[in-house]
Amino acid sequence: MRFWTRASAIDSRRPVLATSSVGAAVAVAVAVPRTRPWYADVWIQMLRKKPLGTIGGVIVVVMLAAALLADIVVPYGFAQTSLSERFIAMNGAHWLGTDQLGRDLLTRLIYGARISLYVGFGAVLIGCVLATAIGVLSAYFGGRFDLWLQRGVDAWMAFPPLLLLMSIMSLLGPNVWSITAVLGVAFGIQNSRIVRGVALSIKEYTYVESARALGSGHLRITIGHILPNVLPTIIVVATTGLSTVILTEASLSFLGLGVPPPYPTWGGMLSLAGLDHMYQAPWLAIWPAVALSLAVFGFNMLGDALRDLLDPRLKGG
Amino acid sequence: MKRYVLRRVALAIPTLFLVSVIVFAMMRLMPGDVATRMVEGHAYAPTLAALRKDLGLDRPVYVQYAEWISGIVLRGDFGNSYWTRQPIWDEFVRRFPVTLELAVLTIIVSVVIGVLVGIVSAVRQDTASDYIGRILAIMALSVPYFGLAVLVVVLPSIYFKWTPVWTYAPLTRDPLENLKIMIVPALVFGVTRAGPIMRIMRSSLLDVLRQEYIRTAWSKGLSERTIVLRHALKNALIPVISLIGLQMPLYIGGSVIIEAIFRLPGVGLFFFEALNKLDYPVVQSVNLIIAAMVVGLNLLIDLSYAFLDPRIRYR
Repeated sequence: MRFWTRASAIDSRRPVLATSSVGAAVAVAVAVPRTRPWYADVWIQMLRKKPLGTIGGVIVVVMLAAALLADIVVPYGFAQTSLSERFIAMNGAHWLGTDQLGRDLLTRLIYGARISLYVGFGAVLIGCVLATAIGVLSAYFGGRFDLWLQRGVDAWMAFPPLLLLMSIMSLLGPNVWSITAVLGVAFGIQNSRIVRGVALSIKEYTYVESARALGSGHLRITIGHILPNVLPTIIVVATTGLSTVILTEASLSFLGLGVPPPYPTWGGMLSLAGLDHMYQAPWLAIWPAVALSLAVFGFNMLGDALRDLLDPRLKGG
Repeated sequence: MKRYVLRRVALAIPTLFLVSVIVFAMMRLMPGDVATRMVEGHAYAPTLAALRKDLGLDRPVYVQYAEWISGIVLRGDFGNSYWTRQPIWDEFVRRFPVTLELAVLTIIVSVVIGVLVGIVSAVRQDTASDYIGRILAIMALSVPYFGLAVLVVVLPSIYFKWTPVWTYAPLTRDPLENLKIMIVPALVFGVTRAGPIMRIMRSSLLDVLRQEYIRTAWSKGLSERTIVLRHALKNALIPVISLIGLQMPLYIGGSVIIEAIFRLPGVGLFFFEALNKLDYPVVQSVNLIIAAMVVGLNLLIDLSYAFLDPRIRYR
């Protein structure tokens, strides 16, 4: 049922098609027994109407492939030093050159993609679970519970996010697991507002009321009825949030508060600690910046396109 | 209007109380021990226990919290740094002008670029200049400001033998020298922040230009310049202002990184140095002061809507 609702929501965004001829409009409306599931529809719409989203998608897929296949495609280890090959500019053996310890830059960038995605996806996953839990519970139970929980969220959002994350990470010490967890919690609390908003409106639908009238418990209503309808919003929050999370991880690693060495991260490779070497070898500054920009661009464009296609309510902004 | 302001201020108080609890709990309940760090570095006290007693860290957490918060509320005393023993508020006040100047310049740069490109993009919709503007906005959104900052520090010094000025000169002593120092960080930060402003300016102006009163203005025979700048722009600016307000925390958070890169002695650098030394009182007080500023700014921005859009009335 809800899949059909999703698909028709996308159809309604085709005014040009429908107005071109009345027959076409009727045909679109009548040809309902569709064989494609709604998510296939989304990708087809993306290819047709969202060129930037498609480019973003391609970048994301390349990044995913690089991260997954890093061990296979890369001839060097990310911490493999070679003191005879320090500060080599691009050549056949080292396509993007080497750094102050003779480590291959391309290798480190590819492994850097892996770390970025680990932290990014991990944090967004934690964040989405948390945002859903806070948002749905806060909206569902309402009343004083909602009021106090939301004041807590208010207080959290009064902090500049970077300041808060820096404070926490300096206490915990740089570590892959803690940065993933911390970014996840911050992401979850921030986005719980959006989930709460959607859940509030869904809660008022008649079918939720009838479920309650039929004697469904809190668990059944929240998980069985509200959650599935919040899901598209959560997908949108997750895809648009990925670029922010990756960028924040890079900022923290840049300051030495994120993923510790020897793991190669894009933020860490750009960091102030390596500034002296960059004067000798500018490619050490250029390529990580390019990689980070491309990744942020890719996730941004993919996220924007998915948001427009999945949830027109959140459009703009 | 007066009642609305009072109510908003009253609502900010519980928020700020929760802010102080969050920041204090965070600093005290998490691992990381300043006393060990201080004894390791310098012999501030003969033993760990003596140092803890000296800093007041041996008392229960709630007593420490009560002391901190009552000092702020009753005496305006934000405590002293563990390391330098200097009052935090004095240091904050001394450094704040640098951060404020950076923020103001950054906002000017980003608003000038964002609004101008946004106007051109909207007025010349679907032409080459529109596409160029939109591509620039996407690039600004994608390039991380600290990456751009590193490139601006490194590349010109290699290829043009030009470096940003490193020694800071206060605005009051040498305004010209000061501007030379601040303009590069402000440009770097402002350019990357112009992306979202340009996007929202474009879409909001497009929206306004389709409204009835604009059609009336056209039919009166007014020039395009008058219509866009005098009739449409004021209404189209409202979303831009709320965006800047929403992004204020990002400006402040980013200034920590920008100040660290360009070695500007502002609040951000103060905070960053305190973090590295686990100087709890500094970290928690600076966090609290800045959060209070964010809350206050959001209030000011809400009130500024009333000025920009007379239809908005507060009760």
